[in-house]
Amino acid sequence: MSYALIISEVRRGVFEERNLDSIGMAHLAGKDAFLLIPEGNYNLNNSIVNKIIKAKLEESLFLNPLIITELISKIIGTLGAPEIVIFTHSSSGIELASYLAGKMSLPIITDVSGYDRNEQIFFKSYYSDKVFGQFKKAKESPLVITVRSGSFKDHVTEKGKNAEEITVDGPSGIEERSFVEYVEEEKTGVDITKAEFLLSLGRGIGNKDEIPKFEELANLMKATISGSRPVIDKQWLPKERQVGTSGKTVKPKVYLAMGISGAFQHIAGMKDSECIIAVNKDPEAPIFQYAHYGIVADANKIRDKLKDLLQG
Amino acid sequence: MDILVFVKRVAATQEEELRLIDDGKNIDLSKIPFKMNDWDNYAVEEAVKIVEGQGGSVTAISIGSAESDEVLRRAIAMGSKDGILMETQEAIHDPALRAQAIYNFLKKEDIKFDAIFTGVQSEDDQFAATGGILAGKMDLPYASMVIGIDAIENGYFVLRRELEGGLQERIKIKAPCILSIQSGINEPRYVSIMGIRKASKVERKTFKFNDFASRGDAIIDLIKWSYPEKKGGATMLTGEMDEICKEILEILKKKGVC
Repeated sequence: MSYALIISEVRRGVFEERNLDSIGMAHLAGKDAFLLIPEGNYNLNNSIVNKIIKAKLEESLFLNPLIITELISKIIGTLGAPEIVIFTHSSSGIELASYLAGKMSLPIITDVSGYDRNEQIFFKSYYSDKVFGQFKKAKESPLVITVRSGSFKDHVTEKGKNAEEITVDGPSGIEERSFVEYVEEEKTGVDITKAEFLLSLGRGIGNKDEIPKFEELANLMKATISGSRPVIDKQWLPKERQVGTSGKTVKPKVYLAMGISGAFQHIAGMKDSECIIAVNKDPEAPIFQYAHYGIVADANKIRDKLKDLLQG
Repeated sequence: MDILVFVKRVAATQEEELRLIDDGKNIDLSKIPFKMNDWDNYAVEEAVKIVEGQGGSVTAISIGSAESDEVLRRAIAMGSKDGILMETQEAIHDPALRAQAIYNFLKKEDIKFDAIFTGVQSEDDQFAATGGILAGKMDLPYASMVIGIDAIENGYFVLRRELEGGLQERIKIKAPCILSIQSGINEPRYVSIMGIRKASKVERKTFKFNDFASRGDAIIDLIKWSYPEKKGGATMLTGEMDEICKEILEILKKKGVC
């Protein structure tokens, strides 16, 4: 039987919403959706998949490349090989998917955000969404993919009946890699999620010495400063100021993005802002697709001009 | 501890407009500067820091054209002992092929190591998969999105992985292992032009990629590239700098934030 095996992402009792994109991908591809999930009470609509495979192990053991691979081997042993194995494109998803692909010599395509059903072509991002590669598998074998959050959830349909449930035994833990604990980010004074007006800075501003000049502008405009991943990585701004999937999700009244090209992980953290104004030198920068207003210019020049105008 | 670090030379496209040519079969990179992949820069720094602390060596390895020697020299200038180039003129689009070549190379040349570091992903194809595929093939423990190494003790790394929304998980992983390093884990050291010049004197070995894998071993095919679908898009503000900035302030006023 031709089925899609969906590896669900669950953490601290929560069935992550991005799993819906994995399920939507299976539906779009016209495959029966079999969902692998650890035992436990998760908030999951069980009429959107055909089968739920419950792994008998603790949740903290589940998202471990070595353990997932063992579970999937067992499932293949009982149900036969799936047509496709679907993971979320997330921190754990990429780790599990790539390890599985290597272990079982399966083709893999990651960060899939589009699918052409007729041609069986998968679209994936190159160069932070500036272009997309169109891929096909070149080997008769199950394909492993990771899917981008937000890309396929609209394809989820109800099956009209509850999924059949089966269980699979899981290992009790392995010595080579083990979970110790979760670590929360330190809480500090600034909470960018509460700001009404964010002045957000990206790598396009050039270097760290430009930051104080943006702080002056922020003071004049009464804006709060935030930044994209590269700016945080380079330690131009502290981590608590980071907007994006690995930082904060923000929805201010105005998001003024300066020198940010708009990698998907950044867009995911700010796309619901009420008004987005983007300044970037590259007229094709992806951020212009999400912004309400766009300016093709050097962010530093716009900054200086705005300061002049505000200082009268 | 002996650490192998994989480094890639990539096009620095952040501020550049990318053009597809040959009906989408190629991307025109002729006018675009190249550099070491950001994530690999962090991986080299992390490996060098470990070796400075407890001894051992770092070897940088790159797959690519002869120009990839640039990134090997940079890695050496940062503190790597030596460099290895697996030379190929053809671009490789399948991470499984890349991992297969590395696997065969390490076996055939009998390269010893205690850990392999890669960057989480490369800026060009963003696959984020080579390290994991290699770990699966070699049957070694694997962790990606490594954002902090807290301790190396009794043959184990104690490290933190970056999850979503500011959350991290601490795990223990047994060496030898493969770790994919996340950007922001450290502050990569400054490398001077002089340093890179001096690195030219350090030995770099060159091997032929094709001696370890051939393009026919790829298990996915890149058909072509295309531009992203245009969404609604922004209203573009054009004109003199002065007018544009006045318009921005008007918008801010209308929104009641400034």
